[in-house]
Amino acid sequence: MTGGSPFVPHTEADRQAMLDAVGVSDVEELFDVPASVRFDGDLDVPARSEAAVRSEVATTLDRNASLTEFLGRGHYDHYVPSVVDRISARSEFLTSYTQYQPEVAQGFLQALFEYQSMLVELTGLPIANASMYDAATALGEAALLASRVRDADGSTVLVPEYVRDERVSVLENYGAGAGISVRRVPGTARTLSPDPLADAIDQEVAAVYAETPTARGRIEESLGGVGDLAHQHDALFVVGSDPIAMALLEAPGYQGADVVIGDASVLGLPTSYGMGLGIFATKEDYLRQVPGRLVGASTDDAGRRAYTLTLQTREQHIRRERATSNICTNQAWVALRTAMHVAHLGPDGLIEKARRMVRLASDLADRLDGIAGIEAPASDGHYFREFVAETDRDAQALAADLRDRGFAIHAIDDHEVQVAVTETTADATDDLVAAIREVTA
Amino acid sequence: MSFDVPTDLHYMESHEWIDPDTGRVGISDFAQDELGDIVFVDLPDEGDELAQGEDFGVVESIKAVSDVYSPVSGAVTAINERVFDEPELLNEDPYGDGWLFEIELADAGELDDLLSGEEYASQIE
Repeated sequence: MTGGSPFVPHTEADRQAMLDAVGVSDVEELFDVPASVRFDGDLDVPARSEAAVRSEVATTLDRNASLTEFLGRGHYDHYVPSVVDRISARSEFLTSYTQYQPEVAQGFLQALFEYQSMLVELTGLPIANASMYDAATALGEAALLASRVRDADGSTVLVPEYVRDERVSVLENYGAGAGISVRRVPGTARTLSPDPLADAIDQEVAAVYAETPTARGRIEESLGGVGDLAHQHDALFVVGSDPIAMALLEAPGYQGADVVIGDASVLGLPTSYGMGLGIFATKEDYLRQVPGRLVGASTDDAGRRAYTLTLQTREQHIRRERATSNICTNQAWVALRTAMHVAHLGPDGLIEKARRMVRLASDLADRLDGIAGIEAPASDGHYFREFVAETDRDAQALAADLRDRGFAIHAIDDHEVQVAVTETTADATDDLVAAIREVTA
Repeated sequence: MSFDVPTDLHYMESHEWIDPDTGRVGISDFAQDELGDIVFVDLPDEGDELAQGEDFGVVESIKAVSDVYSPVSGAVTAINERVFDEPELLNEDPYGDGWLFEIELADAGELDDLLSGEEYASQIE
């Protein structure tokens, strides 16, 4: 390494002075890295100019097929207005790593407090944290909370069959160390009603998980009964939902949910292919069992309203191995953007957006149902943003033919496809319907 | 600074006290002073069976959370519900209104495992 790089602050002379001061001749002497984990070869990364790198990357990216995506199942493309980009890119928001210091971070802390307050209204539960990584890790934390607060023995979490495998895999991974086992409720591939749950639940069950809308887009209509059954067995009722859907549906907290999880990145990010913003909301009884960061409102020494991280005795830097969670960070900037977006929409705007997601899914399902060889939706019910359609033709082949025509939809198995539509793809539904008509003919 | 250490009580090295006559349990004057302003207390339920040395709850102050341990084995016969709403009682009156719970001793011999007031006073000197 030589001095003079614009990206490295220390010159060779700086380094030598520091080495002399601590009495070693080489930086290597400061580290003890075993040979078994050292890489001794050349990294074989060619160095080019910025312009040449940019050109090569652009050329490579141009080779991607640019499909119109009607994909969903947990990740959705919603339009995020430019005012959110503009304000959230201010350096005091974009470059502040964390909000430990209330004396210099009031703006950010206030935004996070407002994010929490919005989630409290949407979920119908009195406490929401400043976010987790994503819905799956929030579900893992909900299971850990259930196993901590439950009086009776047993740490089984029951999940419906419709929950995506990826989410269940994260849940199992989170629960393994705490002795939590995850069991699917038989006969719940499309919906979870009290009857199949009654057959599966026993005293070993610490939590029952349900979703609305489900991974298949279905708005569940018997959440209250499912929650009652969970409570009769001294199990926590955990509901996975969506922040836009909750603007329209009855809040899960009013239907008995003890914990609500979900992913709010739909409001804070454009399509991000995986990055999330985990919602975590719960009841006041579990205040000291909440994982992650909480922003609280207080007053400063002049009596003015002020915000600060609060109840930190739950967290690792104070509680060590007995902390409520090993997550001591959050998705602060995405939460900030979400709060900005929701504030920009206002309650009416958010509700209207939610109504549109019901209409778009319903209209598109009706049109696909009119095509011979397709039944949409595959089962009766109300749908949000997406639905499953049954196809006479092999679903994988149908999805492949659509890909050739520039559209991406998800083939679930041999006879089912899932189609998601938002305001960003609403204008392309005519073309999609025409293409599906072609490939099913 | 000297702390109040009543000599009619038995103590744990981890700063809990028990009254051998009533089975009443709390934390010491020294402990409440070390913790600072206490803001939250979590207690066992009435009827819970505790083992000697078992952690029965937490005492949380503005700067720390401490697990608290049962001085003896036995069944919890009463809890001091006042401390849920007034955790500052632990600071104000650790041997009186700030008591935590009462336990029915399963084995009075276990009291011999604890420190006397004099022994505890010398520990915290």
